[in-house]
Amino acid sequence: MSLHELVIESAARDPEALAVTGPGGDLRYGELDRRANALAAELAGRGVSPGDRVVIWTSKSAAAVVAMQAVLRLGAAYVPASAATPAGRMAAMARDCGAAAICAAAELVPLIPDDLPASVRRVDLTEFLAAAHPESAPADHQVTTGELAYILYTSGSTGTPKGVCISHGNARAFVDWAAAELAATPADRFASHAPFTFDLSVLDLYAAFAAGAAVCLIPADLAYAPRRLVEFVHQQRISVWYSVPSALILMMRDGGLLDQAAPAALRAVLFAGEPFPIRYVRWLSDWTRARLLNLYGPTETNVCTFHEVGPADLARDRPAPIGKPCSGDRAWAVRPGGGVARSGEEGELLVDGPTVMRGYWGRRPQAGPYATGDIIRVLPDGSYDYVGRNDHMVKVRGHRVELGEVESVLNAHADVAEAVALTVGEGLDTRLVTVVAPSPGRDPGVLALKRHSAQRLPTYMIPDEIRFAAELPRTASGKIDHLALAADVARDDAAATAPEEKTP
Amino acid sequence: MTNALSEDQVSERLLAFIRERFLSGDPRGELEDSTPLLEWGILNSLNTAILIGYIREEFGTFVALEKVDAATFRSVATISSMLCETAAEPNA
Repeated sequence: MSLHELVIESAARDPEALAVTGPGGDLRYGELDRRANALAAELAGRGVSPGDRVVIWTSKSAAAVVAMQAVLRLGAAYVPASAATPAGRMAAMARDCGAAAICAAAELVPLIPDDLPASVRRVDLTEFLAAAHPESAPADHQVTTGELAYILYTSGSTGTPKGVCISHGNARAFVDWAAAELAATPADRFASHAPFTFDLSVLDLYAAFAAGAAVCLIPADLAYAPRRLVEFVHQQRISVWYSVPSALILMMRDGGLLDQAAPAALRAVLFAGEPFPIRYVRWLSDWTRARLLNLYGPTETNVCTFHEVGPADLARDRPAPIGKPCSGDRAWAVRPGGGVARSGEEGELLVDGPTVMRGYWGRRPQAGPYATGDIIRVLPDGSYDYVGRNDHMVKVRGHRVELGEVESVLNAHADVAEAVALTVGEGLDTRLVTVVAPSPGRDPGVLALKRHSAQRLPTYMIPDEIRFAAELPRTASGKIDHLALAADVARDDAAATAPEEKTP
Repeated sequence: MTNALSEDQVSERLLAFIRERFLSGDPRGELEDSTPLLEWGILNSLNTAILIGYIREEFGTFVALEKVDAATFRSVATISSMLCETAAEPNA
C-alpha cells in the first residue's frame, strides 16, 4: 500500500491517459512511469538508498512530479522546496533532514550553497530530463505503511521550520478517502493550485493518480492572478478544484468568475486552510451545481474532518462547519478544564488515526493523538465549528505563519533591537505587519529588512508592511503588549483611509 | 498616455506609487528601478493586482493577461519597458 503504486497501477491500466499538464509540457501515465524509473536509476546510481531524504528544489512543473515519483520508488522520502524558497532556507531544510541529494532545476543548481557537504549529491533535474535515457528497469521499492513518503517544512514558533514527517500509510489514508469521497474517475481533471510545499497539493496530485485522472498544474506566478485563474478553470475544463478560500474570493471579486456560466465539467469545489466567509460560499452555490466541500486539518494530520455545504449552512451567518472526522480518523475536543466537550461546548480539537504524522524530523516520534491548537465548538449533530487558535499561529491567505518565526528572523538583523509581528484585517485582506524598534543609533530601511526577510523566509512569510517605533508598548509585567500594538496599527489604518479633515 | 512619456518618466511614477503604497513611503530612499520586486516580497500575489489597477488609471494601459508574469514584474525597469513596448504596438 505505497503512495507510488498509484502512478504505477494507472500507467499499467492506460499508459496513454494524460497524467500531468502544466509548465514543462504534458506527461502521459506511460511517460511519467518511464521517466520516474529513469530518474530513480540515476539517483540510485548516485547513492540514494531506501530511507534517505531527497530535496526537490524547482518550480511547479511536470519535472517536479517526475522527481517526487522517482524518490518514492526508491523507498526514499522527498522534501519539496519551491523555486521561490530562498537558497539559505532550502539548505537549512537539507541539513536538518540530512538529505542524501538535492534535485534542482538548472537555474537553481548554481545557487546551492557551497558549504553543504559534498556527500549531498546535486542533480540537475532539467538537464537529466532533457536528455534521452535507455529504458530503465521498473523501480518499485516495497515499503511498509510506517516508512516516510515526504517531509513538509512548516513555520516553527521558535524561528526554525519544522519538518512534518508523513508516511506512506498516512498519505494513503487521506488519498484513498479523498478519491472515494469524490468518486474520482479517469475523466476527471484536477486543478493543482497549491504549491507542492503545501499539503493541499497532496489531494490534487494523488487523488488524480489514484483514479488515472489528469492533474493540471497552476504555476506559482499565476496562483493569485484572478483573471488568469478563471480562464484556466474554463480552458482546462477543470472538474475538481481545491484551494484556499482566498484564491476563490480573489477569482470572484477581481477575476469575474461569476460573470460567465459555471463550466459544465466542474463537479466539486473543495476549500481548506482558513475560514471561508459564508457570503462568498452563497455566491459559489448560486453559480455552480458542483459539490462544495469544506476540508479541515493541519499539515500534521492532513484532512481529518470535512463537511459538505448544504442549504442549512448557507442560511447561517458564519463559515460552514469543519464537519465530522474522515480519512479513518477520530477527532474530539477537550474542554479548557479537561473532559471531552459535548454539544454546545468548546475545546481544543485532538485527532488520532491513520493520517496523524510520524512526528517532526529530528524530534520525538508522535505518540498518541495530535493536539491541533485549534479551538472548535461541538454542534448538536456532533459536527464541529471552527472557533480560533490557542496560540500565536496565524493564517495569511491560507498559509500558516508562526509570528515567532517572523520575529526571530527580524531580530537577527543587526539594526533591529526588537520586532513584533502581527496580522491586521481579515480573510483575503489579512496583512502581515511587523513593528520594529531599531537598535540604538541604527536606522534600518524598509527595503533592507524586506530583503533580509526574503533571504530567510518563504514568500508568504515576508512582512507585507514594516513599521518603526522608538519603543514597543509593554504590559505591567514587561512583556510586549500585543493587544496594544494591534490597536495602534488598526488605528493608523483607520486614520489613513478616513476622508481628510481640515481643522479650521 | 504612455506613448507621450519616456521610459524614465514611467519608471519615476511607478517608483513613487510603490514607495507610497507598499513601502511606508520608503524613508531611506532604498527603492531603485532595478530592485527585485517579487524576489524581496515588495510585490506579492495580492498587491500586484493593485499595481495593475494603478497602471490602468495612470497610463490608460490595460496590461494584457499574458504579460502578468514573474519576468515582466521583476522590477520597475522591466514593468516600464513592457508598458512602453505595449504603447508602441499599433493596436495596443
